[in-house]
Amino acid sequence: MIQMAAAPAPQTPPKPAAQPKPRLRLLSGADKRTFMDPLSDNNPITRQVLGICSALAVTTQVRTAVVMAIAVTVVTGLSSLVISVMRNAIPSKIRIIVQLSVIASLVIVADQVLKAFVFDISRQLSVFVGLIITNCILMGRAEGFAMQNPPWRSFLDGIGNGFGYSLILIIIGAFREVLGSGTLLGFHVVPKALYAAGYANMGLMVLAPGAFILLGLLVWAQRAHTGYAEES
Amino acid sequence: MRSNTYTFLFTGVVCIGCSFFVSLSAVGLRSRQEVNMKVDVQRNILRSVELPASADERPTPPQIQRLFSDRMTGIVVDTKGALVAGRTPQDVDPEKEPDLLPVFLRKDDGKIAAYTIPVSGKGLWSTLYGYLALEPDGITVKGLTYYKHGETPGLGGEVEKPWFGANFKGKQILDDKGALRPLAVAKGKVADSVPEGERGHYVDGISGATLTGTGVTAMLAKTLTKYEPFFKEVRAGKVEGLR
Repeated sequence: MIQMAAAPAPQTPPKPAAQPKPRLRLLSGADKRTFMDPLSDNNPITRQVLGICSALAVTTQVRTAVVMAIAVTVVTGLSSLVISVMRNAIPSKIRIIVQLSVIASLVIVADQVLKAFVFDISRQLSVFVGLIITNCILMGRAEGFAMQNPPWRSFLDGIGNGFGYSLILIIIGAFREVLGSGTLLGFHVVPKALYAAGYANMGLMVLAPGAFILLGLLVWAQRAHTGYAEES
Repeated sequence: MRSNTYTFLFTGVVCIGCSFFVSLSAVGLRSRQEVNMKVDVQRNILRSVELPASADERPTPPQIQRLFSDRMTGIVVDTKGALVAGRTPQDVDPEKEPDLLPVFLRKDDGKIAAYTIPVSGKGLWSTLYGYLALEPDGITVKGLTYYKHGETPGLGGEVEKPWFGANFKGKQILDDKGALRPLAVAKGKVADSVPEGERGHYVDGISGATLTGTGVTAMLAKTLTKYEPFFKEVRAGKVEGLR
């Protein structure tokens, strides 16, 4: 499961060309790019193809996908922040295991919080919350970005990647729930008349292969849109 | 390159820092989690006796607690089937007192509408915990639900899905001669693997999770054998008046 980001991730975003008037803004141009890039052009799932395991496992319903997405976003944001704060103090010999310790601790805390406040959903997510630890997106962002960049920008990068992951998860979750169970967020959306006319829920969508096919279509659509191709 | 002393020191600080936050969250949230787990067990007991009637209904935790205290009565019996006075299922520790058997009764207007008993045992990876409910006749299964297990999601984990429990509904735990014949989980579909005359005593298994099914079979046999003296009393009509 653990593999470093194969696709090139922007290490240090280029400085904005010219800033006419220094204004007090929450997000500078570069910060904004750090945050927005992972949503589409550099999406961790569709472009870098990381975090696939959980993307398939928790997307049979939108509810579980949303909770998982929030958990991953919070953990990537915080882990990038913490690692970035410590980046100059971490001995390079043990940096991976330090990153892993930080990530693992945050994931355990997130799991405890889910068990305390959304017990039902935490039961459905079962092992996959714990498996956030091995989600390559986290290690990829920690090693590939947070180790070289200041805390605020690393936090944005983490949150941005979390949102990129969330976006895909929720899209896949929505398709799978509507096509596979005829519901959305637990409400019936496929009209009864359609079932009476012989429509049946697509069992394939509830199973992992359905998620694979949807994910493949998404990757295709996204790459057709951005024009990105793997180097051969 | 940093010195080894620094590296060790840094490792120590990281370990202490991480463990501090992990223990803080575990200890700080424990009471909330325990309440959740208690409600989850109650929800499971209620579901095994079909309360609320529709599986689509999702009662909130306070509703579950109210429903449980209104409709369910807990009693404890011994291995001979006699009521043990002064004990409730809540204060029986199955580890220390294996001869005390908790039973929950669903009462509709004071009349017993179902019996439900805890079942637990090894699956493939983990111990499964659930409840088996019988109709007031003490013969027909009303439902089987699992609430805690560590089986593979999508394979053995399917035991907690409604379809698996629904397989058991309406099956009988006695054979033609009236002797105990606990239900067994077939390998795959019953129609494919079980000879014609035997099918009443089997339910469909989960494909890809044969060993979890074997575990379920074993725990049903174990539990029903232990409770058989009690259900004999039930069948003889001696339990109805129990308070």
